[in-house]
Amino acid sequence: MSGAATVSASEAHKLVWEGSVPLLIHLHDSEVTTLPPPPPALVLAPRLGYLPLLISELKPYFSSTLPPGVDTLWFEYRGLPLKWYIPTGVLFDLLCVEPERPWNLTVHFRGYPSNLLLPCEGEDSVKWSFINSLKEAAYVTKGNCKNVMNMSQSDQVELWRSVLNGNLESYQRVSSKLKLGTFEDEYTENISAVSTASQQNSGEADAAAQVKSGRIPVRLYVWTVTEDFDDLESAPQIDNWDKVHSFGAGKYFSLNDAIKSLLPEYFPGSSFDNLGDASTKQSVGDERENTCDPDSSSLPLENAEIKLVRIQGIEPCLEIPFSWVVNNLMNPEYFLHICVCLKVSEANALQ
Amino acid sequence: MAAESPSSVRKVVVHLRATGDAPILKQSKFKIAGADKFAKVIDFLRRQLHRETLFVYVNSAFSPNPDESIIDLYTNFGFDGKLVVNYACSMAWG
Repeated sequence: MSGAATVSASEAHKLVWEGSVPLLIHLHDSEVTTLPPPPPALVLAPRLGYLPLLISELKPYFSSTLPPGVDTLWFEYRGLPLKWYIPTGVLFDLLCVEPERPWNLTVHFRGYPSNLLLPCEGEDSVKWSFINSLKEAAYVTKGNCKNVMNMSQSDQVELWRSVLNGNLESYQRVSSKLKLGTFEDEYTENISAVSTASQQNSGEADAAAQVKSGRIPVRLYVWTVTEDFDDLESAPQIDNWDKVHSFGAGKYFSLNDAIKSLLPEYFPGSSFDNLGDASTKQSVGDERENTCDPDSSSLPLENAEIKLVRIQGIEPCLEIPFSWVVNNLMNPEYFLHICVCLKVSEANALQ
Repeated sequence: MAAESPSSVRKVVVHLRATGDAPILKQSKFKIAGADKFAKVIDFLRRQLHRETLFVYVNSAFSPNPDESIIDLYTNFGFDGKLVVNYACSMAWG
């Protein structure tokens, strides 16, 4: 953590914080009780924000037409209910492959699909989820979350309000007290330290403590396709959350190295795949269900190809240093959200 | 569901620890499929303790998103070959 220079907002931070997605929000037909139906609402949603926080803007548009009942806000895109705790910008990058502006979403105020989505009780739930993500990120970086837990109540409120209102200055004032710091380019060294140490599972806690600054909180959203596509318009649509895998923490050097080492099963040749349980890490929710041999858990999926990487709406050059990406493009809960589309060969997908 | 995927073969030992006034379970260690979501642990505890409201943490520190997979949590936060999950009936660590 090299200090002072990193406290002031970089141009990239400002751009990230000002980023927004124009949404054209339609009320679902089943909740329209008036004629003519209400026109869709056009809102500018902050990339770093969360969809349920839009309720105060949306309610006035649709309240007069809703059937009687209690409001439980949820959204869907082409039939896919949207997870409310994923930042709006990440949802857009992930689900709207060919970015459409405005993004057409359907809103529901009734009939919450509690079998598909986690319950959400408005802003409180979103705040709870945000703070816990922040704590998780702190734990990844520091090996504990004391700094977050020891925050004063007023600081915590201010931190949350700054995210809510998109106020970068006040966010930086409060978040600097967390001393979660920025990440430097020394990961290559740290990485190897982690990988050797965590070969035995028992060493993991110690390793985490020793190289605490070498771990970076990452949420990687990976969707795999088996058919090649040349332009984004013809890319297959994500229609089910089971097709998206997301992963936790990582460490690294160039963005390309980072992504490949987070996905050792798709990129068996890349280094650092000896990170403890890394070989099974990303097979979570994997769709290769017809595997007959239960021992083939580390079967490498060769020939995977990175089709698309999106972070904060940008498709960055994969050679840029990962530390720059992390320091400039992470979300306020200190997680870097990366959307990755992988092309795998059909044979491998069916294995 | 038809055949087992490789990841469901990989199991993780989850150590459930009561915090505060939460009742202690007779059996505190379980093996859970790595592919399962954290939500499964929460549901299990709810059923065991007959409580709707429950606060569930990893390493006495944070509540992971119920969508996170057990194997991912174990890889990142497990030690001594297990994942420590604390549960409380009232909010313990905010």
